Amino acid sequence: MNAVKRRGAILTSIVMLALAVVVGLPFYYIVVNTLKTQRETAIAPLGLPSSLYLDNYLTVFQTVPILQSFLNTLYVTAISVVLMLLIGSMAAYGMIMRKSHFNRWFGIALLLAFMVPFQTTLIPLYQALAGIHMVDTLNGLIAMYSAGSIFCYFLIQGYMRTVPYEIIEAARIDGCSTFGIYWRIVLPLIRPILITVGVFQTMWVWNDFITPNVFISSSGKQTLVLQVYTAVSQFSVNWPAFMTLTVIVLVPVVIFFIAMQKYIVKGLVSGGVKA
Amino acid sequence: MAETIRTIRARYEQWSGIVANQLFLLPIAAVFLLLFVIPLGQSFFYSLTDFNGYSRKMNFVGAKNYFRAFTDSAMTASLGFTFLYAIATTLIVTMLAIPLAVMLDRKFFGRDFVRAVFFFPAIPSIAVLGLVWSFILSPLGSGAINTVLQLVNLGPVPWLADSALAQLSTILVSVWAQTGWHAILYLAYIQSIPADLYEAATIDGASPRQQFFRITLPLLVPAMTVSQVLLLTGGLKVFDLPFTLTKGGPGYATTTMTQAIIQRGLGQAKFGEASALAVVFMLFVLVIVVFQIVVARRLERQFQ
Repeated sequence: MNAVKRRGAILTSIVMLALAVVVGLPFYYIVVNTLKTQRETAIAPLGLPSSLYLDNYLTVFQTVPILQSFLNTLYVTAISVVLMLLIGSMAAYGMIMRKSHFNRWFGIALLLAFMVPFQTTLIPLYQALAGIHMVDTLNGLIAMYSAGSIFCYFLIQGYMRTVPYEIIEAARIDGCSTFGIYWRIVLPLIRPILITVGVFQTMWVWNDFITPNVFISSSGKQTLVLQVYTAVSQFSVNWPAFMTLTVIVLVPVVIFFIAMQKYIVKGLVSGGVKA
Repeated sequence: MAETIRTIRARYEQWSGIVANQLFLLPIAAVFLLLFVIPLGQSFFYSLTDFNGYSRKMNFVGAKNYFRAFTDSAMTASLGFTFLYAIATTLIVTMLAIPLAVMLDRKFFGRDFVRAVFFFPAIPSIAVLGLVWSFILSPLGSGAINTVLQLVNLGPVPWLADSALAQLSTILVSVWAQTGWHAILYLAYIQSIPADLYEAATIDGASPRQQFFRITLPLLVPAMTVSQVLLLTGGLKVFDLPFTLTKGGPGYATTTMTQAIIQRGLGQAKFGEASALAVVFMLFVLVIVVFQIVVARRLERQFQ
């Protein structure tokens, strides 16, 4: 019995590792080609480089304003996510503290709004942003992303129900203000959900392509993903340079993934996030 | 006198408490109004006019834009591909992710590594991955896959230059990117199934096959609801991957509804037509999601 089981495990192992290699092959392809010349890439796209060739990295850093795009992305992501968490958690707090008819109907209205796809409101929003001269600005992007606060509200509200009401009541009796309770008691208590939702919204904003592609036109305001997109025409014949840019852009994402892996899987389980 | 002052003060405190509380709803109310209600109303309104976004003059054209959405060849092509993509990715990912999750639940050498590799494509931007795949699938002889095929004297295959192949490639790249993520979702549900269910089934002489179909699969119905709603809505709303992989071509073979809306509205300044398409799109998404949730609820009840 034991030998059969062991043979099964070995077989599973071989099959699964082989499948993993196939799935991971595109990533190997990207990384390995950053170390090759154009000629080498054309002849043997999957072969190992003949020597350690780092010129692609030099080329990319010299011709592409990566640092600028990185800072743009960082600015937009950080402000958007903090704003979304703030708006979402404030709304969840207000809704839970006072259960009036109005608030209940408002909650239903928010649920309906959550179902409206971004595509349907895109054109009027573009016009509105153009009207206040915020097209092609980073703050315009942040304004668009703040729509995600409704999603944050739903997840945070679900978690906030688990906060024991006695703590809030006790604080109120001790003379703590409405804002004080929110800031000093509720926010620290809901930290786990803030992290989970924050991780997911960070990945959404950081990786988003459609919004910057529609709203950003000047090169100094590009996000990293948009930068990679425009680099396709710049490096249309220099494939290794393009792969190098991709690798550089992927590095922060990989670091984020490794650091936040625990929260990503937890969030995925706690009710299928990601809109 | 003292009595009335006290009631006035009590009433003031009560009201100020309510106001302080409702102030917390102000930011989300602003988001709701400015980013949802007003633009949604505008989309409905524009869809009935020939508004071009610039001139102040616009005429009421009734349902004309809606007829166009169903007769214009570019628009019907985008409707067709979006549905094909959404349904195909939902079915294929589900059929691959569940067996994969069962395998990932077993004990074997290198399991954590394999799990991480399968999950990883969900982490980077799908737009960047689409661009990388456009190089891998390049119809030129120098595309990675075509170079490999040449070694065994095959190809070059016009992966992204032929309509049917381009659609197939787009769907397969999407399956590649999403299957691992959904497998991990299923895995989490599988891990919460009590082990004694399987032990009892083994004692009763149930084969592994029977155990999968009689225990695992029914208990995965709630996970399937979550996973498929995400896949289907994500599929209908898709833009990034087909656009970065093929730009919607060749012709309109891989143009999505989102791309059609953007091109009509912002590219050609036909706000009316684009808005009609956007409204139709929203109704499709709503109907499909509601239908899917109703069916899923019924299934869940049946299996409990």
